[in-house]
Amino acid sequence: MQTWNGQATGEIAILIDGTTATANQISLPSPGIILQLIVFGLLLGAIYGLVALGLTMIFGVMDVINFAHGAFMVVAMYVVWALSSATGLSPFLFIPLAVVVLFGLGVAVHLITIKPIMEAPQENQLIVTFGVLLILVSSIELYFSPDPQNYDIDLGSIAVGGAFIPEGQLIAMIIAVVAVVGTWLFLKKTMLGRAIRGTADNRDGAQYVGINIQRIDYLTFGIGAALAGLAGAAIPLFQTFDPFIGDAWLINAFVVVVLGGLGSFPGALLGGMVIGFVEVFGRFFLPGSFYQVVIFGIFILVLLILPQGLLGGGPSE
Amino acid sequence: MVQVSDRLESALARYGAFRKQWYATPLLLTIIFVILTALPFIRGLAFLGIAPLAWLSLNMLIVTLVWATTAQAWNIMSGYTGQFSFGHAAFFGLGAYATIIAVSEFAISPWIGMAIGSVTAGLFGLFIGAVSFRYKLKGHYFALATLAFAELLRFLFNNINAVGGASGYIRPLPVEYADDHGLAAFQFTSDLPYYYIILTFLLVVTIISFVIKRSKLGLYFFAIREEERAAAAVGIPTYRYKLIGVTISAGLTAWAGAFWAMYFETIRPETVFDLLINVEVLLPAIVGGIGTVIGPIIGSFIVTPVAEFARQSVDLHGLNNIIYGLVLVAIVLYSPKGVISWPARVIELLRERTRILNRSTTEQVSSDDD
Repeated sequence: MQTWNGQATGEIAILIDGTTATANQISLPSPGIILQLIVFGLLLGAIYGLVALGLTMIFGVMDVINFAHGAFMVVAMYVVWALSSATGLSPFLFIPLAVVVLFGLGVAVHLITIKPIMEAPQENQLIVTFGVLLILVSSIELYFSPDPQNYDIDLGSIAVGGAFIPEGQLIAMIIAVVAVVGTWLFLKKTMLGRAIRGTADNRDGAQYVGINIQRIDYLTFGIGAALAGLAGAAIPLFQTFDPFIGDAWLINAFVVVVLGGLGSFPGALLGGMVIGFVEVFGRFFLPGSFYQVVIFGIFILVLLILPQGLLGGGPSE
Repeated sequence: MVQVSDRLESALARYGAFRKQWYATPLLLTIIFVILTALPFIRGLAFLGIAPLAWLSLNMLIVTLVWATTAQAWNIMSGYTGQFSFGHAAFFGLGAYATIIAVSEFAISPWIGMAIGSVTAGLFGLFIGAVSFRYKLKGHYFALATLAFAELLRFLFNNINAVGGASGYIRPLPVEYADDHGLAAFQFTSDLPYYYIILTFLLVVTIISFVIKRSKLGLYFFAIREEERAAAAVGIPTYRYKLIGVTISAGLTAWAGAFWAMYFETIRPETVFDLLINVEVLLPAIVGGIGTVIGPIIGSFIVTPVAEFARQSVDLHGLNNIIYGLVLVAIVLYSPKGVISWPARVIELLRERTRILNRSTTEQVSSDDD
């Protein structure tokens, strides 16, 4: 698997007022730069929240750590990119289609690989989803080549109160916020959503009150994959992508999910914001990819000291 | 047809009885290692004009033995004690880096580097175990914690230029730290000596693994795996024994990393700490049979040569990973006990068939009576 050079926020130094400030030269950044970093942190945090949402949902309901989550994102990127390049139409038209495709793919992956071993030890599901990751990512690499790609769209950036907001990232953030609110309403207000939450709370109990947990499982996995697909389809709006980019997002999404509390919904958003800010500020103030060391440091500390996360969840016996 | 399956069944039954003997595993291991010793010479042999193993290059065999060694080492911890590690790349990479740093930065013997790497990896494993087990991490949480430590090292080595940074190290020539090619320099002009060195590593790790399994230590390990609370209740200090398991496993995994550093020309964080290394380390054990001594060796010979062949000889990037993925999914879904359990499964299926056949004939007879 290839290295990943996250360009999530682009070259911040260049974007900010055209200056080429680097980490070493700056001791006290101006308020304008801080404001810009906060904006980038919010934008990236929302995307992390969306990426983590599907992961935490699958974990909360099914107790499965889905390593294929990042691969699902990549599949969605290539679905949108391939269709929009083939037809010449705007990629935005194909984002909803990618979500539907990913729901189907998620249900299929669940029925073939997860359902037969739901009762097996936890490691088995981890290994199987990693196998799915390898198959999906390498098939894409084989079919589309490992070269980086990008959507054929030209998005500018807008200036708000002294801070620049790249349009692609703004749209991605709006997509993320709408999806998060939509999923939240679905889980809170509909019968199916309540059944899913009930199953997450207590699988046995849900079964006793007549919830068909097998149906809940495949719907959950499908929705989780669809959310991964939505996140995946939105990310190329602001960065280039290749078949391996899912790994980087997946690993940080694990951090987000554990930080927020495995299975916790608001936790995923809070964790997403924390990691988004750490990444943006870390990229600016620390050399190289040291921010990633900080992120894993946080991850390990949370796992050890606060395994239930910031907001609920908790290690299951 | 029935006769053939009968014969197969009795042969398998005899094999089953043989496997129950105390000497079965050592005898099978001896046979396996004798074959492995001769393998570089017999792989080119032709039978009726066909050389079935000719596609196996020495390089593929060496890589196969590397992953067999790591799987054997991983197995001692995750197979025996049941603490599933998804971060053994940390120990593999530490072994590789300690060795290459010894020869590149200090011009000392790679063997000393390997010893340092092994101890460092063991201590790092001890540290991971100490913090994780103290906080009672298990299952998903433990797997994620081990992965986090491996990824942490990847980014640390990537960003610290004193240890090569992202570009890593290029293996120096033997004259820069030793006299010439040879055992002392851990560098050779051909692949054959490398093959026998990694075979020796595998042999030593296998013997350690076997001795542990047959000892009281192994008994405690398996007790922890089966039911940790019960093990603790009968007085086994589970925390201490889990730490022993992770330390031994980590220290031995570093050997394979050290070999990797001296066999390949470059070492980078992305080649030894990569996410996929975590899988390659443990895959043979899962395919062959978790918790068995023979399984990791058999497992590596089932997956690695095919994947390496796909990677080296077929010009299709990613095909080897697809093979890994398919094997992972298939083995976990259909045979979670690994290939090693197949003789017993076949005999079960055959017995089942015979039972059905017998029942239908008796039914036939009884219906004739009526």
